[in-house]
Amino acid sequence: MKKFLSNLTTNQKLGGVALVLGIIALFAGNPYGGTSIKVNEKDLALSTVGNSDKVSVTDLADWIIKNKADFELIDLRSEEKFNEYTIPNAQCIPLAQLSSSELLRNQKIILFSDDDVASSQAWFILKSKKYKGVYILNGGLNNWKEKVLFPKAPVNGSKDELAQFENMKEVAKYFGGSAQSDSSVTDSKPEIKLPTSNTSNTKTTAPTGKKKKREGC
Amino acid sequence: MNAPFFKFEYFNTDVSLIIAFAIGIAFGIALEKGGFGRATILASQFYFTNMRVLKVMFTAIVTAMLGLYFLSVIGFVDLSLVYLTQTNMLPMVVGGLVAGVGFVIGGYCPGTSMVAVATGKIDAVVYVAGMIFGIFVFGEMFPSIENFFNSGFMGTVTIPSYFNLSYGLVVFLVVLMALGAFAAAEWGEKKMAAKSGKVKA
Repeated sequence: MKKFLSNLTTNQKLGGVALVLGIIALFAGNPYGGTSIKVNEKDLALSTVGNSDKVSVTDLADWIIKNKADFELIDLRSEEKFNEYTIPNAQCIPLAQLSSSELLRNQKIILFSDDDVASSQAWFILKSKKYKGVYILNGGLNNWKEKVLFPKAPVNGSKDELAQFENMKEVAKYFGGSAQSDSSVTDSKPEIKLPTSNTSNTKTTAPTGKKKKREGC
Repeated sequence: MNAPFFKFEYFNTDVSLIIAFAIGIAFGIALEKGGFGRATILASQFYFTNMRVLKVMFTAIVTAMLGLYFLSVIGFVDLSLVYLTQTNMLPMVVGGLVAGVGFVIGGYCPGTSMVAVATGKIDAVVYVAGMIFGIFVFGEMFPSIENFFNSGFMGTVTIPSYFNLSYGLVVFLVVLMALGAFAAAEWGEKKMAAKSGKVKA
């Protein structure tokens, strides 16, 4: 045996090592950890408590205005609602189709629907499938409309609050909404006309591919 | 600590560029040291007189594969975060043929041509100039071939998932394939050497 080993060249020895590792690999299992879901409950609970899994609507508005493109914005509502109005740059992936979607695990994904319920469910599904950067748009589209599209002037607001409101007015204008300076009009919602979205949401469920191809060689 | 480091945000984009620069230099040195900066060596692969390209490529594939496989099995690397190119079947077959023909005729692949430029090979400079011109032509005619470019889209496919095999089995088969290729290459080279020896004599 000893003689046999000493007669081998370095290359042959390396080849032997590769063969042994290859044989071990036959029994070592799946490197992707299989399809079964393992959930670290503590991890999930902590990120919920710490609010680290939420993105506020004002932050999102800011990112869109600044043309940040490092996230995927997912509209979980039906296609009809999506076509009616959605946040600019969002793509429509109804909750039921989420698991068969082409989202990548290394993407920053921001989920929203009308409120927080559907996006929380989607968040859990993706998190349990080991997606790393999954976030919920806090308050959903309802909150987006309230805070970004049609912000109301603060009642007896401090100087800071008023300055902030001036800022939000501009933001609202950018997204085609309008600030409600008269804070007494609280029931005017039905009259509010949503901005038409046909110019902003060019993205659909069909993978555009362009963005993803930036990576790799 | 888990890999891939960049995806786990151990460093930002700026730092990643510096690291990429260092890795790029190391890669270039490795290619040059391996003899991949000379068109004659690269082209001789296609005439089966020098099997160095095949040996180096298979060594790299097996090393990287075993490393990634075992590091992810023990949980150090998260393979799902490693980028995989998406597949468009027919366009990739056509593209591969074009690249292969270019490889045989020009004696370089895009990466090795850069290495050869760095060592001042004039044929490589011409090759790279041609490549850049080709990229320009491709960009100009892209609208007319865009449909074909996007056809046959299969998403991200891997051999294990496509053929429904276990990952371990594929790893084992690739190792066997590589060892077989090494043995065949050694044998073929000896044969070729004997043949050319006879001709010379």
